Amino acid sequence: MMLTILLLLGLPLLSTVYTARSRSLEKNHFATLATGAGHLGATLYLLLTRQNPFPTRAWFGLDPLGSFFLLILSHTFFAVALYSPGFLQRMKKPEYHPSRWLYYPALNSYLLASTLVIVTQHFGLLWVVIELTTFSLVPLIYFYRSKESLEAVWKYLFLVSLGLVFLLIGILALGLATKGAGAHASLVVTDLVRDAAKLDPLWVKTGFVLALVGISAKIGLAPMHPADIDATSNAPGPVAALMAGSLRSTAMLVLLRFYEVACHTSVRVFSQRLLMIAGAFSILVAAVYIWRSRDYKRLLAYSSVEHLGIITLATGIGGVAMLGALLHTLFNSFGKIALFFMAGRINRDLQTRQIDSVHGLMQRLPWSGFVFGLAFFYIIGTPPFGLFFSELLMLRGMVHARDWLVLGLFLVLLMIIFIGMSRALLRMLQSPQPVGLPTGKPLERFHVAHAVSFYALVVSVPIAILRPDFLFGPLRSILTEFGFSL
Amino acid sequence: MTNALTILFCLTLMYLAVTTRLSSYVLILVFQGILVSGVYTVSFFENFSAAHLVIAGAVLLFRTILIPTYIVKIIRDLDMEHRDQTRRYHPGFLLQISGVIIAALLFSYQFSRITPVLVIPLGTALAGICSGGLLIVRRRLLLAHVIGFLIIENGLFLLGVGVKADLPWVIELGTFLDLFVLIFLMGIAINHLKSHFPEGAGEDLTTLHD
Repeated sequence: MMLTILLLLGLPLLSTVYTARSRSLEKNHFATLATGAGHLGATLYLLLTRQNPFPTRAWFGLDPLGSFFLLILSHTFFAVALYSPGFLQRMKKPEYHPSRWLYYPALNSYLLASTLVIVTQHFGLLWVVIELTTFSLVPLIYFYRSKESLEAVWKYLFLVSLGLVFLLIGILALGLATKGAGAHASLVVTDLVRDAAKLDPLWVKTGFVLALVGISAKIGLAPMHPADIDATSNAPGPVAALMAGSLRSTAMLVLLRFYEVACHTSVRVFSQRLLMIAGAFSILVAAVYIWRSRDYKRLLAYSSVEHLGIITLATGIGGVAMLGALLHTLFNSFGKIALFFMAGRINRDLQTRQIDSVHGLMQRLPWSGFVFGLAFFYIIGTPPFGLFFSELLMLRGMVHARDWLVLGLFLVLLMIIFIGMSRALLRMLQSPQPVGLPTGKPLERFHVAHAVSFYALVVSVPIAILRPDFLFGPLRSILTEFGFSL
Repeated sequence: MTNALTILFCLTLMYLAVTTRLSSYVLILVFQGILVSGVYTVSFFENFSAAHLVIAGAVLLFRTILIPTYIVKIIRDLDMEHRDQTRRYHPGFLLQISGVIIAALLFSYQFSRITPVLVIPLGTALAGICSGGLLIVRRRLLLAHVIGFLIIENGLFLLGVGVKADLPWVIELGTFLDLFVLIFLMGIAINHLKSHFPEGAGEDLTTLHD
């Protein structure tokens, strides 16, 4: 068990220190890749054996919820680590030089901070470590050192930190809720769930509202989403994939920790309603901005707002819909890896982020165009990809809950988003080259990014169809922990 | 004693409303740091615990020495001493802050009837959080935003006292460290903004929009 803790926390720490001191990008890459592989190996081992490597009743612990989110983090990180050398190889301009050296230490410190968020069971400590994920991302978002990336990083740092102030007030409120729970009361999740009946509902309610408002900036839920959109769209491809694929999910886990406590109190229905409103509002905002967006990276960032909105909405519904929401979190991370890797390559090769300036992608960049097209069909929920099955589960949950208004609204908004995204992305893929622009040989060859992206899209199919027990077992346990049944 | 210190904190908020000079903002931060540290020292005498002493010392170190010194360094590095004014004085801001303080104290008094809280520290904390937010909204200079954020953090710290929250001291120290790193990163960002936007130290961050 000690070995798994070392692989999860010790290895990223060691790798952060090593990559910060090493003067060889090649060695830094191997160190990061080895860290990612070790982390992923430990995560899969813990998921298969369903073990908690940490001592019980401590500030750290790995429950099924943590194991599941650890898989999302590990998998996304490993994919980013695989793509990183190819990305850095092309970033040879002198102004990128400092960013190239900061890249691997920041990436490794992100893995460390995110792992800490997932394994931390104490709400106070959770606040400390979630702020660390923000810090580790700063040099990564500011990679291009342009005016735009600086503005994005400033807004992200400032607005997310302001949001986290609300989260801290929420944690203080939760602390107040425990006053009636006696001497053994603490801010550890398991203790709060155990003492749920003794918690003051008023303070639990206050804490949940503030936590939702505060962490929304980090999850990217409307109306706190703008900083996240700017940061994701101005960061390099692999960093954007990391943010959309894992950071937002990790932040979602923080909200789920609050929700887990609320679900065991009389505030349960209130918190469910609140999540449903927040989720539906995010999907609505995404539907509006996906139609307005002229920049394909911003459009993909809004797609993240949409999917996190869907996850939040379905989490609020509970039961089968929550099972769908959890699966959706995993499959969304797969899709975002492919979309942002490809968006980064398209941006680099065509030197534009404007949708109107990209034509005939399938001819000019055949590999990126093909994978980007596939990722588009993936993200809009086309069968046989995973998102189709997770959305189906959510719809089943809505029908079970007899929430016809929510079901109708959900379907209409998905339709609007589907048309909006198709309008923009299919034009990029298929529209003919304007007269006057050079046509000729394709601009690219097959790259590791294409292989990783293709794998990320395809792997969701057997998971969704075969429903392996090592993954669905913990998912069922999570639902039981939240007090839902299938 | 705690009430006296927190009332003084309210007065610093009033001063915040009438001054427009960056150097005065830094002075306010130092003074608020001393007051917040004082509140913790008082708790130390009331309820003896080594943790209280450690936290009071950390508040004094971070909030009255390290962070203000760093902000002064930024002001000097960016040559902002010569254009110290964040904007023209406007009496409306004083009225707004006064309104916020009165509303926060009234809210705190009403709240104390529902649940046991310290009325004046809680009211002051809420006023601090709202005033920091108002400063961010009313001033365009990015450094003023950072100071607004720090005032919110000071209010947050008092909130912990007001609602008698009892976080483990290791976590409290962790939050200080986070705050310091955050301000450090914001300082670096402001320095870079100055090179990209030399005319206004990044007062006009409106490039990114839909």
